[in-house]
Amino acid sequence: MSASTTAPMTMTDPPTGSRMERFVWNCRYHPKRELWFAWWVMVIFYNLYGVLFFFVTHVQPPPSPAWDTPTVVQWFDDNGSGVIAGFAIVFVIAGLCAPMNALLAYSMRRMSVSPVFAYSYLIIYALAAVPGMLVMAMAMTVAAFRPDRDPEIIQWLYDFAFLSFSGTMGVFMIGSLVWMVAILIDKNRVFPKWFGYFSLCNALTEVVVAPAWIFQRGAFAWNGAIAWWINMVVFVSYTAVFIVLLRRMIEREDFGTGPLPELEAAR
Amino acid sequence: MRRPDGELILLWTLPVVAIIWISAFFLFPGFLHPMSPTMSAAEVANFYQDETARIRYSMILFNWFGVGLIPIVVLLAMQIRRMAHRTPILSYSLIACAGGPPTIFLIANMFWLLAAFRPERAPELTQLLNDLAWLTFTILVPYLIAQCLLLALAIFWDQQDQPVFKPWVAYFNLLIAVALAPAAFTALASTGPFAWDGLLSFWVKNTAIAVWIIVMGVVLGQNIRQQRAQDLMADQVAA
Repeated sequence: MSASTTAPMTMTDPPTGSRMERFVWNCRYHPKRELWFAWWVMVIFYNLYGVLFFFVTHVQPPPSPAWDTPTVVQWFDDNGSGVIAGFAIVFVIAGLCAPMNALLAYSMRRMSVSPVFAYSYLIIYALAAVPGMLVMAMAMTVAAFRPDRDPEIIQWLYDFAFLSFSGTMGVFMIGSLVWMVAILIDKNRVFPKWFGYFSLCNALTEVVVAPAWIFQRGAFAWNGAIAWWINMVVFVSYTAVFIVLLRRMIEREDFGTGPLPELEAAR
Repeated sequence: MRRPDGELILLWTLPVVAIIWISAFFLFPGFLHPMSPTMSAAEVANFYQDETARIRYSMILFNWFGVGLIPIVVLLAMQIRRMAHRTPILSYSLIACAGGPPTIFLIANMFWLLAAFRPERAPELTQLLNDLAWLTFTILVPYLIAQCLLLALAIFWDQQDQPVFKPWVAYFNLLIAVALAPAAFTALASTGPFAWDGLLSFWVKNTAIAVWIIVMGVVLGQNIRQQRAQDLMADQVAA
């Protein structure tokens, strides 16, 4: 059931009817409806992202950069229809990033820090989706679209796709650092300080992925133990943690400007 | 207090941009009868060799004015700020969307211009650039869909006596979002309505964008005028 049904009310009272009536009321009138909307979009987006990238397109975990050309062509023969269908859905839903980034920006507006942090984060992450996700989707789609193309060209598209995806680093690194600094200097206790340091871990994954541009095999290649596995573990846990912390932030939100009350006080 | 000065100037750039886009659309030799994905590499290469000049000039026009929609989306975000919401989430969301479509379009634009830059290259390479251009251009819908859906939601939540937009604007935006969505699936087919030269992926999608620009331009114009009149009244009352 929607988390919004458990959040505190401050405006008019919800109806005491069925679960469905309460849900509809919450969607329309709940004082935190915009925040819960963005939060649910985030949950749905990351779930779809996981399903589409891991199970439909099979681009995660990534195939090897060390493969010879015929093996790459064979990979597209085996996965081509999944690539096209999966990325087609990505092209429909990629705009869901916008409310997610808006919620993260909002978390910084709720802090005691300058609005510069929120706006910088919003723009950095609005930009990030193109080189970090959509370029890969386009390159893979083009490769799968005409499988009878010159194999060398297919391999170039393969490299373009995986390197744009793994090798788009700075936007995520600087974005995480902007959020980190905001969290660490914030006096409104929107996030715990340890989460600020966790953001640093996420930023560091974008540092260690840089050798993916250089190595075709080994731990630093785009499918390697460091450039992929460690990064994926950090990224997934970081994302899971901030989804929970954002949920807590929304529950604690009092629409004031001072320190965010703790959960008990808010109730 | 928000200052609306200059918003009408920005809005009036819209018809100018629209006229330039339409001219460039007709100038590009591969749009009025959209190029088919079934063209062979040799046919594609011939197209770029025969039509080099028109491809270059039309795409340079698009390169100049492709970003022309950004001020309009930001004007819409400003209208969302006036709505009866508790948070700026939806206006932030629209601002986060604004740069997306032009960025994707400029990638497609670059591939068209690259293909026309050295049309005597190996036909396979020209076909690759042509595929990159056409597929990127056709799937540029994600942020446009999001903009329409977010705007509809914002209007739906604008529960006040004098809502910023009338409810039909929300339904109109939902309809446009539905019309844009099939283009995302274009790579599934080389012929038929989903192909990049097909009814859904080319004509419905691009017509939806054109209709959205016209309708939202008119609606925005009415809103900005009304707001200026209200501001003027408020000033007179204060003076």
